[in-house]
Amino acid sequence: MLYQNTLQLAEHSQGAYEITELIEKIIKTSKIHTGTCHLFIHNSSSAILISDTADDSTKDMTADFMAQLAPSSIDSNENINSAMDAVPPAMKHARSQNELTIPITNGKPGIGVWQGIFLWEYKSAPIERKLTVTIMGEARHRSFRLSH
Amino acid sequence: MVHQQQLRFSTDGRGTYNISQQISDVIKKSGVKTGICQIFIQHTSASLILCENADPTVRTDLDAFMKRLVPDGDNLFKHTDEGPDDMSAHVRTVLTESSLSIPVHDGKESLGIWQGIYLWEHRTSSFKRNLSITIIGE
Repeated sequence: MLYQNTLQLAEHSQGAYEITELIEKIIKTSKIHTGTCHLFIHNSSSAILISDTADDSTKDMTADFMAQLAPSSIDSNENINSAMDAVPPAMKHARSQNELTIPITNGKPGIGVWQGIFLWEYKSAPIERKLTVTIMGEARHRSFRLSH
Repeated sequence: MVHQQQLRFSTDGRGTYNISQQISDVIKKSGVKTGICQIFIQHTSASLILCENADPTVRTDLDAFMKRLVPDGDNLFKHTDEGPDDMSAHVRTVLTESSLSIPVHDGKESLGIWQGIYLWEHRTSSFKRNLSITIIGE
């Protein structure tokens, strides 16, 4: 079974925006119970990333680190917006993830309790982003657990 | 055809753990001959990599490189509730992979002869790590 949906994400200025709930809804619409969900962002100045949802500062610190890793003339890493500004585009592209695949278990994203799916917007000016979600799998339950 | 199962690994501090055999077992069990095996780690302080499997020094060197690139207790980091390796582990995870997809061919993982699948624990203490493995194919 295959389901695909291409959508426009609302305009966002620079920063990280959680889209886990949106992905949950799309998976629910697909009616696929067990499978994989592939997310693809159609541009090279934003990214799809998994990040920690327990503490907001985690994603901010990650952005700050990226800024430090590839410093530019803009010396500011006080918050995620200024930090993302400071990362040269080449570095953003080099370590960005345009695509991400997550498992679908019991009709929901099979991600960890502290994991969230985020859109990382790099552009300062708010811009609409096209996202294609491709879900493959089957409607019936085939999941079981093994320990190692 | 879809086969999905969870694997749980115990890690014993920072480093890489070869999970190729366990992934291979799941593929065998799935009965899928041609398709894709998708591996997903359900954590933000441990990750997945494909790496050289012949010389273990490659992996200790990778860890040494990562230690230099992302120092524990960096002054930049404010998310330090769980110690100096807390935030660095999150950054290490973003710099590596949470999700790997590998081809399945003839009922086996179609990897290069020197490629291995590794779980990379970024925290310095022991953890239980959950992986979700989904195999789609025929």
